[in-house]
Amino acid sequence: MITKKPAIFIYVRNPDERMLKEICAGIEEEGVFYEIREVDLPSLDELAWQAANDSMPGSGIGILGNQAALQLRGLDKGRNAAVLEVFATSKVHVTASPQNHFSSMRFHETASLRDPDLAKCRILGSNSARAVKKMAFK
Amino acid sequence: MSFIAGVDIGNSTTEVCVGEWAPNSGIHFLCSASCATTGTKGTPANIHGIREALNQAMESIGRELSDIALIRLNEAAPVIGDTAMETLTETIITDSSMIGHNPSTPAGAGQAVGKLLFMENLSRAAAHTPYIVAVPGTCSYEEAASALNRAAESLDIRGAILQADEAVLVENRLHRKIPIIDEVALLDRLKDGVEAAIEVALPGQSVRMLSNPYGIATLLHLNPEETHSVTPIAKSLIGKRSAVVLKTPGGNVRENVLPAGDIFLDAENGTLVSLDEGAEKIMQAVSGAGDIHDITGAPDTNVGNMFSRIRQGMSSLSQTPQADIRITDILAVDTLAPVLISGALAGETCLEKAVGIAAMVKTQKLPMENLSKKLQKELGMEVKIAGVEAVMASLGALTTPGTKLPLAILDMGGGSTDAAVISMEGKVVMTHQAGAGELVSMLIETELGLSDRHMAEQIKKYPLAKVESLFHMRMENGQMTFVEESIDPRFYGRVVLLTENGLIRMEKDIPMEKIVQVRREAKRKVFVTNALRALKKVAPKHNLKSLSNVVLVGGSAEDFEIPEMLMEEFAAWRMVCGRGNIRGQEGPRNAVATGLVLSYAGEMP
Repeated sequence: MITKKPAIFIYVRNPDERMLKEICAGIEEEGVFYEIREVDLPSLDELAWQAANDSMPGSGIGILGNQAALQLRGLDKGRNAAVLEVFATSKVHVTASPQNHFSSMRFHETASLRDPDLAKCRILGSNSARAVKKMAFK
Repeated sequence: MSFIAGVDIGNSTTEVCVGEWAPNSGIHFLCSASCATTGTKGTPANIHGIREALNQAMESIGRELSDIALIRLNEAAPVIGDTAMETLTETIITDSSMIGHNPSTPAGAGQAVGKLLFMENLSRAAAHTPYIVAVPGTCSYEEAASALNRAAESLDIRGAILQADEAVLVENRLHRKIPIIDEVALLDRLKDGVEAAIEVALPGQSVRMLSNPYGIATLLHLNPEETHSVTPIAKSLIGKRSAVVLKTPGGNVRENVLPAGDIFLDAENGTLVSLDEGAEKIMQAVSGAGDIHDITGAPDTNVGNMFSRIRQGMSSLSQTPQADIRITDILAVDTLAPVLISGALAGETCLEKAVGIAAMVKTQKLPMENLSKKLQKELGMEVKIAGVEAVMASLGALTTPGTKLPLAILDMGGGSTDAAVISMEGKVVMTHQAGAGELVSMLIETELGLSDRHMAEQIKKYPLAKVESLFHMRMENGQMTFVEESIDPRFYGRVVLLTENGLIRMEKDIPMEKIVQVRREAKRKVFVTNALRALKKVAPKHNLKSLSNVVLVGGSAEDFEIPEMLMEEFAAWRMVCGRGNIRGQEGPRNAVATGLVLSYAGEMP
């Protein structure tokens, strides 16, 4: 029997507040639950991996400072499904590391005329929820 | 002892087969190869591809190209095919009066009717008037929610339309719940003050009021004439999760029936048939017309343009003046094409009736002599043009284990479907029919609205699966496959094609069942129709019962489901029908090349 609420876990350490807010909005729009916890883990990869493994539906997000990573249970630590970085000027940078599956992922711009970089955080949140709903990523 | 090579130049592939001939032991097959045809069939540009294929074949047995003593070229059938598609109906919205789309996350449920009110005009609104508020994308969900909450204290707000994808976010922050539709990209085309009806379906359902003409009439107080004119709107909203209909005074939605035009069959029993009557009527006219000299369409109509496009394409391909191009056969198929509605607000499409046509054009004899002379000069060996393609294909098909005379072959290629029957006496009757693999690709492309022919070709060729988790996918037949190594998350939740080089992702979000249905239907419409048509033409006394063996050869015979479809169809005539297996090892390919080598033995004393 399922006793835990099927929520996406967001493990954070000193998170960029704008980033966290947009990611949560992305999950909320898709209608999935989430829980935020301050966790003392050394790296972004560890935060995301641990979140995914602790989450009942197996979808987790790690946020370390101005970086965020989407991880799914079953993927190896460090093989994040998506990685984002927000700079002080609020530019989001999609890192293209070789182990990052999503380096080639195309982010759709939303119709929103607001900060297009934070919109990518919204999409990261949506995708973590879409993973739970077994829907194709945005 | 000498090496003989058979070379078959097709529209898309060049196939070769090499055999060894000795006076007392006859032909002994050594190897075969194939590669893409270079240039247009029958032109000297083919030589490059021929040399490549021969090299490949000779390398596989550790010999040199120069060991070949004789090359036998096929006398290619002088027919080329082309396809065209034309929609017969079109839907036009004047003055933007509807939105019916499927945002994945609308919020709330139910219907609402009210005057359209833009966010910035909230302060000017009157009390006791029902409103539907339009929120532009520049306004964040928090601003929108607080503004709506404040306004709800004094105004009657029934629903909201958002430009951004934030319906759930806004609704979660509202004190009084209302239906909200989001992702309406062209919000600025809406007009302040017009009467609007919105509907969000209950979870798991689709809209009910707005997909019903009387529902729209109820909500927007329409008279019988207006109700009649909103029928196309209601039709296009069927199956949607959310919808908006606006009542604009001058607004209108029309379903135009385009003047499709007539097709003239210049034949033994020449007739005239209108494209509007549909594929079935056209095909009846074609089969009743006897020998066809040429087919044309009425000038300045859709069908006329379609035929002139085909003529133009064929004339530049075969380098013959347009006046000399004769269309001698067509295959017409009914289809539905999702077409972008002109005047729509959120990129809505409407399924329009369309007809796809494959035409076959008889060209003058291909300049094979020229090609063979050039080939002889370049490779320094004897080159001979030997026999007619269909005869050679029949000879090759006879090497399939379990076949006997009389034998029928069905050669399903890219541009045309050919059939031939060899009688006990070795007499060959043959026919060429328009419509084959390329028409199937075109139908798949149109019906799925892909606008990408390459993707359509891939869908035709490979089975589908849906990636359901990082470690398993569900095949189109329901079977589950599990993998050790996690699947790339890019494929997650997507419909993919299973190719020999890994997965290909479907970019468009179309349910797997729909793709399977469209693909199978396209293959059935083209190949089953054409197989029956072709075999009836060549069968003795045009009676299919007189055929006992049918061997399927050619590129489309390699398909993973077409041969099974035909087998099922032909079971009714109690004939043995199946995919050929040339020389017991080549599968349905290489029939003509094999036939060319075999026929050499027949010519020897």
